Amino acid sequence: MSLRLYDFELDENAYKVRLLLAFLGLDYAKVAMDVFPGTEHKADAFLKLSPVGELPALVDGEVVLFQSEAILAYLARRYDGSGLWLPEGPAALGAVTQWLAFAAHELRAATTARRGALFGVPIDEAATRAAVRAAFRILETHLVMQGLAGRSWLVGDAPTIADIAVFPAFALSRDFGIDHGEYPALRRWLRALRDLPGFIPMPGVPGYH
Amino acid sequence: MSQAETGWIPVALARDVEPSSSMGTQIHGQEIVVWRDSAGQSHVWEDRCPHRGMRLSFGFVRGNHIACLYHGWEFDTAGQCRKIPAHPELEVPKAIKTVRYASAEAAGMVWVHEAPAEGALPPGLPAAEPVRSLYLDCPAARLVAALREGDGKVRVTGDEGQLLTLDFCGAKLLGGVQPLTEDQCALHLALPAPGADPQAIVDWSEALRRRLEVAPVPDTSAAALAEAVA
Repeated sequence: MSLRLYDFELDENAYKVRLLLAFLGLDYAKVAMDVFPGTEHKADAFLKLSPVGELPALVDGEVVLFQSEAILAYLARRYDGSGLWLPEGPAALGAVTQWLAFAAHELRAATTARRGALFGVPIDEAATRAAVRAAFRILETHLVMQGLAGRSWLVGDAPTIADIAVFPAFALSRDFGIDHGEYPALRRWLRALRDLPGFIPMPGVPGYH
Repeated sequence: MSQAETGWIPVALARDVEPSSSMGTQIHGQEIVVWRDSAGQSHVWEDRCPHRGMRLSFGFVRGNHIACLYHGWEFDTAGQCRKIPAHPELEVPKAIKTVRYASAEAAGMVWVHEAPAEGALPPGLPAAEPVRSLYLDCPAARLVAALREGDGKVRVTGDEGQLLTLDFCGAKLLGGVQPLTEDQCALHLALPAPGADPQAIVDWSEALRRRLEVAPVPDTSAAALAEAVA
């Protein structure tokens, strides 16, 4: 097999890629990185693949990519013959990209909060919490609106890589003490995503409910 | 909050508590679990496993049992512990029970009675289509005061306990008020009849929240400052 994913089991961004690979039913080699305590992701060899020093990185023959959202887009375009995970139409493509950017920017606070809670990384807890809640509210309202229009996903009528990119931040929010009670639409969406064929869990995201 | 206190508090839109699922919420700072069994019946309990105090809302619904995330203790719909996986041979003592509350569904919402007692929801609440639950970082009293004041789109036309009847641009809208803590509340919105645009209601609710969550600003008008100096 030619696909190689540089992975860390507890990394939510690597999980996004593992999720899509599972939904697409693709075989791949997993390179397990010693992130804690080894900081292998900051070592010379890995920085050549991912100069930002963050997981994941993907190698597929000549193609080398870092940033999970970019990897999702590549895998969908390259291997999803159905075109459902990354739709072609301009409006849908724009909307998917919008939520990919949202996952990378606004939901970065969730990654920060989780690293603070799980790995003791020093953070401004109040500001981080406020940023996470603001982002979750934006998602909640969007999914309420989608629901009123008879839709269950972030974009259109079917799941896309936008749903995958946003998923771990909410699914893992109990790791940093933000419960799901205030987000009923997100809760229903989380259950729907977990029910998709091929879904895989990660520590903190059970495979059943 | 009104002329007619009923002791009944809305805790969720019924639609949002799906079969075989649970959610955690609060009433007056008390943590509760709202869960629906696989047969569709909803239940409202204290959100505590009697074993180690773990929140049951973190657990899993299996048939008509809810199971704790920690050690898998399973409770039936009467709150009776039925299974302790670590002791499969044990006949579970009758004393191992959860604290249950009287609950009911009406007006598109799940309701709980404040006291852990049996009781019946006041009759006559209409069926209603869910719109959304809005969670606000402001006291329930401030939310209700703002609704009573009205804002050009919405005014209060009636109330019964925690259920406000609202007029939304000429259409009837129900608003169930849930006091979560001293500083947080929820407004569960449902439409008893078609006539209003639900998306317009969501837009209005977002604006309402933005308005209510702004902390009260001290009066720094020239007149107030002059008065302070004098």
